[in-house]
This record gives sequence, C-alpha cells and structure tokens, in this order.
Amino acid sequence: MRPMIPAAAAALLSLAPWLTPLCAQDLLVTAATVVIARDTVLSPGEFLVRGGKIAFVGNEIPADARSRAKVVDFPGATIVPGFVLAHTWLGQDADLVERAAPFTPDLQTAEAFDPFGEELLKLPAHAVTAAALAPSSRNVASGIAALVKPGKEQGSLAADSLYVMLSLAAPSRDPERPPTSLMGAVDLLRSQFNLARGTAQSSRELTILRQVLAGSRRCAIHADTWAELDAALDLATEFAFEPVLVGAAEAGRLLPRLQAQKAKVILGTLSPDARLQQLRLPGELERAGIPVAFASSRPATLRLTAALAVRNGMSRPAALAALTRTPAQLIDQGDRVGSLRAGCDADFAVFGGDPLDLTAALRAVYVDGQRLFGTTATTSSKP
Amino acid sequence: MNVQLTRVATLLALAVGAATATAQDKITALRGARILPGGAPAIDNGVLLIAQGRIQAVGGASTPIPEGTVVIDVTGKTITPGLIDANWRFGTGSLDRNEQGDEVTPHLRVLDTLDPADRQFERTRAAGVTTVHVMAGTQNVIGGLGAVLKTAGQDVDAMVLGSETSLRVTMGSEPSMGNRAIRGGSVESIYYRRPTTRMGVVWEVRKAFYDAKEAMNQTLNDPQQQDPGLQVLMRVLKKELAVVTTARSEQDIRTALRLAAEFGYTTVIDEAQEAHYVIDELAAAKVWVLVGAPSADRVTGGGGGDGAEPRFSTLTKLAAANVPFVITTGTNQAALDLVREAMFAVRNGIDPQLALDSITVRPAQLLGLGDRIGSLAAGKDADFVVWTADPFDPTAVAAQVWCNGLTVSESR
Repeated sequence: MRPMIPAAAAALLSLAPWLTPLCAQDLLVTAATVVIARDTVLSPGEFLVRGGKIAFVGNEIPADARSRAKVVDFPGATIVPGFVLAHTWLGQDADLVERAAPFTPDLQTAEAFDPFGEELLKLPAHAVTAAALAPSSRNVASGIAALVKPGKEQGSLAADSLYVMLSLAAPSRDPERPPTSLMGAVDLLRSQFNLARGTAQSSRELTILRQVLAGSRRCAIHADTWAELDAALDLATEFAFEPVLVGAAEAGRLLPRLQAQKAKVILGTLSPDARLQQLRLPGELERAGIPVAFASSRPATLRLTAALAVRNGMSRPAALAALTRTPAQLIDQGDRVGSLRAGCDADFAVFGGDPLDLTAALRAVYVDGQRLFGTTATTSSKP
Repeated sequence: MNVQLTRVATLLALAVGAATATAQDKITALRGARILPGGAPAIDNGVLLIAQGRIQAVGGASTPIPEGTVVIDVTGKTITPGLIDANWRFGTGSLDRNEQGDEVTPHLRVLDTLDPADRQFERTRAAGVTTVHVMAGTQNVIGGLGAVLKTAGQDVDAMVLGSETSLRVTMGSEPSMGNRAIRGGSVESIYYRRPTTRMGVVWEVRKAFYDAKEAMNQTLNDPQQQDPGLQVLMRVLKKELAVVTTARSEQDIRTALRLAAEFGYTTVIDEAQEAHYVIDELAAAKVWVLVGAPSADRVTGGGGGDGAEPRFSTLTKLAAANVPFVITTGTNQAALDLVREAMFAVRNGIDPQLALDSITVRPAQLLGLGDRIGSLAAGKDADFVVWTADPFDPTAVAAQVWCNGLTVSESR
C-alpha cells in the first residue's frame, strides 16, 4: 500500500515551490556540446533554466540573467534532451486494461498512474525524463494514454489525455471473450467507427472515436504482423485518420502504404541478436520518410537500440531524435518535451560523450530543472 | 444449372497488367506442348501466345507467331490452365478465421486476416494452383465472408479477385465443439451457449435467417445503422450472395438442403463426403457440390470428418447424375496437392477431361470468374501451368507456373 498523504503534509507540499532553491535562482548550464533539437547543436553550448523551464538558449541569454545565475558546468560533456517514451506500461500493465469488456476507449491511464511507481522513479537512471503511460494492448480499444514524469520522491502527471490506444495485436484476442480472432477484432473496430460516424447513438466510448474522426485526437494502434498492420491501415483509410502504429514488426513490408497514409511508427527496442530484418527496419523507415520513435518498458536498452539502429543503416540524428524529438511529436507534446528550445521543460540528460556511443557514461539527468540522477561536475556561483 | 457465387471484383485487380508492364509488354509464345485448354479438347504440338498478362491466342502448330516474339520451346510438356482451389486448405492462422465471440458472425471478412507472403501461397503456387477461394473457419454456425485471391501478385490488392465472395455456414458437430450446456452455477464463459447439438446448429441458422427476414420487412430511417451481420444475411435472402454450407455426412447434407429450401437461398454443398447417399436430392436441388480431398481421405487412411464415410465412388455417382461437382483440398489436413486429388478421381473412374475441368473451368464458373480464369482462350488471364508430363501422371510436376503472364514458380 502506498502512503496516503495526510492533510498536513499535503499543505506542506503545496508550499514546495517556495522551498525549492531552483526557483530562487536561475541555472546556467554549460557543456562542450548541447543538442537543442535535431538541427540545432551548439558546441560549446549553454542554456538558462528558470522555474523548471528552458528560458534562453546560447547567445540569447541576457547578460544580467547570466551574471545572476548559478553556473552548472559539465566540461567535455554532451547534453541532449531527456529521452521521451511515446509508449510504455511502467510495469503497471495488469492495471492498465479493463478486462471485463474488449472496447473501453474512454478509460484513462491517468487514473491508474502511480506517482511512487518503482519503474517510474528508475527512469532517470536511463536518461528518460517523460513517458506516455499507455493502456495495455489486451483490449481492442483500451483507453487513453497520459504523459507522466519521474520526480525526486514522487512522479507527476504532466498531461492526462494523449492518444487513444487500439490494438489488433495478438494479446487483444482472447479465447475466453470476444473477439477471439483477428477477424473479430477488426470488425469490432470497424463497426464502432461506423457507429461513431453516424448520429443515431451517443456514448462516452463513441465520443472518443468521434474525436479521432474529427482529427482532434490521435489514434495509436498496436499491430505487429503484416495482416494486423494492413488491417490497421485499412481502418485508417476508411475512417480518414493518420495512424501511429505501435510494435510494427513487419512494417518493412508496407513502406509505400505507410508513406501514403502518413503513418508514424513506435518501434520496440532492439537487441544484438535480433533478426537482421528487425535491425534494419528503423533505417528503412527513416529512408522512406516515416517518423520513427523507440519505446519500451525496458528503458535500459534504449541507447543500445539507437546504436544498433545506426549500425544497421539509420542516421545518427534520426536515431537520437527517435529517443527525443520524434516521440514527443508523436504524442503532440513537441512544444514541451523532447527538445531544449526556449519554453520547453528543462528535461535533459548529460553524457560523457555522444549518447549513441555506449562507452559514454550518463553523468546527470534533470527533470523540470531538478537533478534526479548523477552529480554535477563543477558548480560555481558568479558574483 | 450455373449457380454462380456473387463476385465483388476489385478494380485494382484489373490493374495488375499495367503495374508490371515492363515484364509483360513483350509477346511470349510457348511452343510444342500438348495443351489441355480446359473445357475443350486437347491440342497436340500447340502454341500459346501471351502478352500484357493475357492470353492472345491458343492453337495448333500453325498458329502464327508475330515477329519479335520471345519463343519458349516446351516440346514434350503439357500445359493446363492454372488450377483453382475452390476451398483452399489454409492452415496458417486458422484461429484468426474463427471468431468464437459469437456463433453467428456473417459479416466478418476472411480477407482481413490474410498475409500474401504466407509460405502456403508459395507452396500452393508451386503445386500449379493460381487461384484460391479462402473461407471463414468451420467452428461457427455462420462463419463469415470468403475471399478469392490469385496465389501471386505484387501486393494483396493485386491478388484479390473477390473480397466478399461467399458466406460460410457449417452443419454437423464442429460448431458445437467447445460449447457447454448450462447446468446451474455461475455462467461466466462465453462457451456456455447454443449449439451443443446438431439440432442447436440448425436452430442458430434458422434464427439468423428468420431475424434477417423480419429485418427486411422493417423500414429503418438510416439503413447504415442496420446490424452489419443482418445486412449480409439479407443479401443472401435476396440471392445477391451465395452460401457455402459445409456438410459432410448424409444427415448434414440433407439438413443443408432443407434449410436452403426453407429460406429460399442459394447454397453450395461443401465437403460433401457422403454425397453418394444423397445423389437424388442433390440433383433435384440443382446445387453445386464441393468435394474436399475425396481421395486423400482414403489413401492416407484419415477417414471422413464428422463420422462421414468417404467413398471412391462418390464422384462417379455425382457425375452419372449430372450433379456439378468441384474437387478441392477442403479442410482435410491430409489433403494432397490439388492435381493429385484430381488424379485419384481419374483412377476411380472419372474421365480425365472432367477431372481437369473440376479443378479449372468448373471452379472458375462457380466463383463467377469464368470470363477471366479457368481455361485457356484469347482474352483470358495468362494463368497456366507447364507440367513435365500429363498432369495426372503421378510423376508429373509443375515445371513452370505462370500467373498474370509472369512466371511465379519454377521447378529445378
């Protein structure tokens, strides 16, 4: 059981911003290299953190702010935006699906979010600073994902209503409840979307699908095999939405269709003994112009995945973006996480070198301007 | 007599020729083979001329060959139309073609589950089969909509000849399997449901079509909001879509005929292993009969499904009574290649011409595709097989298989 927060403690917590020294003083973070976003790399680089956000970058930092800020210097280091997971269960998957019914698009993982979760609080150790807590794939429509962030003692809910999660993958079929087959799963989605398109019925479930039809909510579909992916793309064509495909193991066989339908792909992590077909897929998708993000419930393998993708044909900038900018954009949070532009959350990771070089150590990780992992190498305060 | 399954042709399928124009542009002639054109007498030392994915001419040695034609010498070989399996035994992912959430799922589409790169397509092509009819599984009373596909094509759209070709209904004990009778206590499993008996199977069919009939008499404000399953059953009642009823034993075949007559829909009897007991009824009902792997049942010692007793004489009796039949590989796991099944039919007294027709011209006609596939004639799809010997010679293998004017399989 998690400790319930007593009223007195809650009152104290509400005062927390006054207690954090970060708000009292700006941080001037400097390093040998700072990757602001895919096409903006500063070396040497610096940025100013104010109130948990990136306030200024590089030579835009005003002189007076610079002089008052506390300097945090990482000599020789490379700073990149904190990694963003566009799809993860954080070890909570049993709690992220309402098994009594296969079609529950209106359930919200925000309600199941555990701010004290062990896996959540371990994320900074793997450079992850934000994650979309996705509903499980064991329902055909399982619910709505939420953006969560790790914190010092407890994490926080950053956004409660991201994409709606659908699934045609094997776990969505269950011999003990309908649908038991892919045929049935496809039909369930098709008939519900048809109902949503009509006006005769109204329900909370259909409201979510109507948002997808209207283009105001993203729709992620877990689909692995060719048949599942093809069916997902059929649905996307039929109901005119641009799908985010999760899993997508056989996406390499559908490149022209993915391109034509402006699909985006969230791939699982790779291991060195994966099949060549899997190892080459990220590069193939990149060359076809299809946005790719890496996600996993095992964040320890994210850097290895990006490195393996590069070894098998993906470009370095795209591989780094697949851990930062691209997943942030896939979940429509690109103006907040996934890059270090002014106005974004001050979520960043400090590496001893290129993050795609696995010999480079992770030195420090900051979320909302607060250090959650590692140490600062040099700290000095200018008078 | 020509009861045809309704076909929903896709325009994309017709565009196959255009997409691979470079390979198909040139005129190709195959010369010197014995040609069995399907539905017509054999041509010795024949010439088969193809271009643009279609057959340009079929004839004897004197058939003119235009200048610039690529000539392939196939002397000593035999050419037949690409074979058609009207009930393809397709094992991969069969769980995904049986939706057990309900016994009656008429609107589910088998096409949603097919992967064109499945190895079974490759094996089937290599056995000389260029078109297959894939149906929903047999675990539901009313399973879903079957599809017709070529076994080769650059993508699934190019392969599809019909996406909603037939509706499968299954008699006998298979739909009951796994269902349990309610005997008190809490009922949580979806399998506590009808049918658990043959009577129950019939009840499900009757209820479904009764409901569809009722629905036809109602006027709805918005026809789009009609239950999609009912919409499919209504198409059946309006004879826009044919039923394929899987019925193996004598009893099940009779039931299938009775239900079709009762509701006035068109049915094909599938897997009719005990058709020999019901010849007169089948002839009177003027139905087509699919016989699934008639010989393999006996040759491999597998016996008939669902207690049926297959006999070698089934096909000869059907032929004598002029009941139109088609040979398929059916749901029999022990089925041999389609051509071998027809070979056993010949061994048991079927005329070779008729045996070949029942895996070429006849299934094409049944599937409503007689104008495109199933025989070798000018204007038809260039789907054919070059056999190393007469196809009913047990040593014969498919040396080359052509589909849409391209070689899709070659033996070494």
